[in-house]
Amino acid sequence: MGRAEIEKALSKPSPFGVDIDVSKYVVEEPSVEEFKALELEESVRRASTRLGFNGIRPSYIQVDQTALYTLLEKRLRGYGVTVIPLRIALEKTDLARRIAWRLVDPRNDKYTALAYLKGGELGYFIYVPPNVKVDIPIYACLVLKLERRAQLAHNVVYVDEGSEAHVVTGCAVPHGVREGLHVGITEFYVSKRARLTFSMIHAWSPGVHVRPRTAVYVEEGGEYAGYYITYNPLRSIQMYPVTSLQARAKAYSASVIVGLGSGDYDVGAKIVLEGSGASGEVVSRTLGLDESRITARAEIVGRARDSRGHIECLGLLVSEKSSIAAHPQIKSENPGSTLSYEAAIGRISREELEYLMSRGFTEDEAKSIIVRGFMKVDVPGLPEVVRRHVDRIVGAISKLAMR
Amino acid sequence: MFSVGINYLGAPALSILSLEAVSVCVDDRIIVRDVSLNINPGELHVIMEPNGAGKSTLLAAIMGLSHVRVCSGRILFSGVDITHFPSYERAKLGISLAHQVTPTFRGVRFLEVAKAISSRFNTDWRTLASLSNVEDLLLRDLFSGSSGGERKRAELYLALLQNPRVALLDEPDSGVDIDTLRVLAELIDYIVFTQGTSVILVTHLGPILEKLPRITRAHIMVEGAIVYSGDPSHVIPVILKHGYTRGLEVFGGEGG
Repeated sequence: MGRAEIEKALSKPSPFGVDIDVSKYVVEEPSVEEFKALELEESVRRASTRLGFNGIRPSYIQVDQTALYTLLEKRLRGYGVTVIPLRIALEKTDLARRIAWRLVDPRNDKYTALAYLKGGELGYFIYVPPNVKVDIPIYACLVLKLERRAQLAHNVVYVDEGSEAHVVTGCAVPHGVREGLHVGITEFYVSKRARLTFSMIHAWSPGVHVRPRTAVYVEEGGEYAGYYITYNPLRSIQMYPVTSLQARAKAYSASVIVGLGSGDYDVGAKIVLEGSGASGEVVSRTLGLDESRITARAEIVGRARDSRGHIECLGLLVSEKSSIAAHPQIKSENPGSTLSYEAAIGRISREELEYLMSRGFTEDEAKSIIVRGFMKVDVPGLPEVVRRHVDRIVGAISKLAMR
Repeated sequence: MFSVGINYLGAPALSILSLEAVSVCVDDRIIVRDVSLNINPGELHVIMEPNGAGKSTLLAAIMGLSHVRVCSGRILFSGVDITHFPSYERAKLGISLAHQVTPTFRGVRFLEVAKAISSRFNTDWRTLASLSNVEDLLLRDLFSGSSGGERKRAELYLALLQNPRVALLDEPDSGVDIDTLRVLAELIDYIVFTQGTSVILVTHLGPILEKLPRITRAHIMVEGAIVYSGDPSHVIPVILKHGYTRGLEVFGGEGG
């Protein structure tokens, strides 16, 4: 793969989502610094508060194009876990060099090309050694602090055989940042019989474009669960992570989209059942508020015998000026693969409200219960502490529907 | 005009729910006519109606659902006139309705709604879930993909989760399997005679009546009016044996 080819891709739009003129955004010179938790500046602290990260000590922080890393928390060190900026990992470890950019091709579109060419390989590298069950989540926090900047991150996670890990990434701007572009490339390797959950929590502002690019490779008997939630206005987001499952591997992908302002949301997930006995489920819950436009995509491809896949795309249109589209797609290339989907878009019905009012709730309370219930997705394997974290966010969201 | 137990100053101190000559309209049609009832704590009243919408409409009016309107008469709860209270206020006072028809909550787990109700009324959702045999349903969407029996158990469960002082049960026994019938009857018997809840149960054919050993009073409704009230041990066997038309002839002139 030549550099010229990748440079050519800098003008290649993504097939989905609004096209962005990336030249409008300044990419700062990438740098890596050590930090101590207490030194975090106020704006970064405020941004992390918007993510519900209060009291959480992230193992990796990136502010614009500066990667901040710290001595790993004692318990994580005890497990033998590595969390370092990818830039450093690429200098120091063979593994990082061997696997980086293997699941995501920089030539995919202008965003992957931009991250490859200008990103300076900021982002986190996480390695979990074989046969350890890391029960505390590994947190990362990415903050876009300056105006009209592009933040480029490249994350690589490798969970070795038989291990278990939970990664939570929060991405946010502090209040006041109007324009920006966030591109996050993430490559997950889940080895044989390993388990990984990945939760991504976003709190942006009305002028920010977001382009996550995620690919997941799950080896035999491995399990991956991805959870995504966005609940603040943004200008646009487009992502379509692809998960490849080998024999008996499992994947679950959940996206919870609260469409706000005049935001353009194009969010989906694709799972490819490559190995026999693999199974995957794609779930999305979309809430159309304000003038938001939402497209929920999902695709499952069955290529192996005894593989199973199911898609569930549910939308709740609250505002008359909003729109929701669902595009579930299933494709079987093997007679032994069983695939199904369901999609439904509706509104909060009068009957549901009347029912809950007869159970002692005012109309606003009834709406809140419905929205909260609708947005709440049980992600298999998510640790209790992360579950509570996202439940708190969902609880706060349910009040938005009453405006 | 006045049913037994009501004096001119209002309901007697004992009474928890009193209907005073209540008529109920749906879209300006009178569906319930001039019903007077007096329910004391811990009483189980049964209203039987061969066909027609009177019995469900009456319960909807007591609950305060918005599609029905009390066009004359008064509803008193513990002596307070609640005729024009919104349904959520009545629920907070201690009235709960097990609806005959329940909406499907797509994408909303049963458990989420159960937790919201138990938190509002400070009740224990786990214990009651076990008693109501709904534990296996809690992780599904509320009222979706369930059999008739499952829906009825789920609905009675949510109604009782309010820890009501008056429970209005709208045909809890229609379209249910024999096991569900037993669970429902045991629950109703338990809340009435152990917890002192008052219950008005309406039923069409009444398969549940044979499983409820202790009914306080049975009322027969025809075309929205209560035409006969009496001792259930007398009324129910006659109706079940002869049907409504013959049965009413048997009671003819007895008064209630």
